Amino acid sequence: MFDISLFVLMLLGAILALAVYLPMRAGQLSLATPGFYTIGGTVAALLSTTVPELGGSEQIYPLASVFLELMLAIPLVALLAFLIGKPVLKLKGIYLAIATIALVEILRVVLLSSPWFGAAVGIFAIPQPFEGPEGYAAAFAVLLGITAWGCQRLETEPLGREMAAIRNDELAARCMGVHSERVKLIAFVLSAIIAAAAGVLAAHYFNSWSARQASFDASITTLAFVVLGGSRTWLGPVIGGLVLTALPELLRPIGDLRLIVFGLVILLGPIFIPQGLIQQKRS
Amino acid sequence: MIGSISLELNGLNVRFGGLQALDQLSFSLQQGEIFGLIGPNGAGKTTLFNVITGLTAATSGEVRWQGKTTAGLRPDQLCNLGIARTFQNIRVFSDLSCIDNLQIAMGCNDRRAALELLGIVELQEKGTHLAGSLAYGEQRRLELVRALATKPQLLLLDEPAAGMNPVEKQKLQLLLNTIRKQFQLTILIIEHHVPLMMKLCDRLAVLNFGRCIAIGSPQEVQEDPLVIEAYLGRGA
Ligand SMILES: Nc1ncnc2c1ncn2[C@@H]1O[C@H](COP(=O)(O)OP(=O)(O)OP(=O)(O)O)[C@@H](O)[C@H]1O
Ligand SMILES: [Mg+2]
Repeated sequence: MFDISLFVLMLLGAILALAVYLPMRAGQLSLATPGFYTIGGTVAALLSTTVPELGGSEQIYPLASVFLELMLAIPLVALLAFLIGKPVLKLKGIYLAIATIALVEILRVVLLSSPWFGAAVGIFAIPQPFEGPEGYAAAFAVLLGITAWGCQRLETEPLGREMAAIRNDELAARCMGVHSERVKLIAFVLSAIIAAAAGVLAAHYFNSWSARQASFDASITTLAFVVLGGSRTWLGPVIGGLVLTALPELLRPIGDLRLIVFGLVILLGPIFIPQGLIQQKRS
Repeated sequence: MIGSISLELNGLNVRFGGLQALDQLSFSLQQGEIFGLIGPNGAGKTTLFNVITGLTAATSGEVRWQGKTTAGLRPDQLCNLGIARTFQNIRVFSDLSCIDNLQIAMGCNDRRAALELLGIVELQEKGTHLAGSLAYGEQRRLELVRALATKPQLLLLDEPAAGMNPVEKQKLQLLLNTIRKQFQLTILIIEHHVPLMMKLCDRLAVLNFGRCIAIGSPQEVQEDPLVIEAYLGRGA
């Protein structure tokens, strides 16, 4: 039995995993992905529920309006990521991770306490551009395809190589002419854009949207996608996102034990396969 | 343009807390020369490289490159202005192939140029090998061509012969003389192996406790009483 709505979630997991992966490719452990994801979703939820013009004349919400939401959410989040990234990316390693967790937490509390964003209950009755999960699966697959294609291009482009150099040895990279602040900021902004685009689609798919999306849990889960899948090539996070999203559902027959098994996979994965499931090709 | 000044130090001071790592350094490099820097451990040689490449800020004084002060410039900007270096403890990009190591330094995709550069140090067969998988001496040579790949005018070498056997040292000396001519380089080199430095360098400076205690031709420096004293350890 193939569960199409689970498949949609798996695709979403893979996209968010790529968003975590991009800064990591440049050696930056950023856990801000759920924050930008939430902002993207909030933009979509607000626009589609409060701007009647976007609704169109048909029963179904027009795809053109979803596209318009993307065109608004992406520059907004890119600008925000740029403004945040400039100071925050001066932090290294675990300090960057903690700072980004704090930012997501701030966002969550702001959304929770503001009636404008639906406060604790969230925003409901977000209109549907597709009749069933098949349409969403196609939309998420397109987004995943574009993102993965971009990541694949990076592996052979100077920018992607500069990211790898920074991850390997930032000091040496800077001495070889790599403007590391700039490269890290680009990776951070690209990551935020991917997360925001996923959020726009997800808000429609889930039909409702609230501050709960920006939880600490979400930060850790998306990180686990990359840790388990591997962060050397783009395929690792994609596999990690697909597998770890499906796992709890596939384990449902074993009842509550499934959460323990899920936890064990996240715990033991890095111990036994520290490079992740998908490892770099050696020559 | 041999004879004109390329790099100039003006009363350069670097202080780490209570430690005076560089003390009123003032000298300049002529374009095209190989200039040696020797001195006991902790004399401040690597610190001087770090200041020249923008990794460490001078406490006072300045470095001038091609007539302009370098204060406030980032390492990548200085690299783009023609200053490249190697590191005392090897810092190749070990997870990346040799070709990628060079392409990063070149800032563009050009495998052919990368392979050509690798040929200079007899690593053309290792183009697709990960830099971390190379032998120690090979990594040192890779680091050298990686610096060359940035198209520098001034090359800073921090103990390039460390860990090399006499045959390798001999080869390195020939190599440095070749690339100096081929790429019209000025070379500033730190090396503990004094006989090599005597043969290689046009001029030498001797640092001790951050201070320049002697400067001149290898002959002059070798006979300087202050240098003999520093190396016999009376001052230390
Ligand atoms: N970032 C730093 N912070 C504090 N002290 C430092 C720093 N870098 C270097 N030092 C100190 O400055 C002094 C000079 O160090 P430096 O590395 O320049 O010596 P060196 O001449 O290169 O020695 P060696 O031959 O051992 O490489 C040493 O006492 C060192 O401990
Ligand atoms: Mg040193």
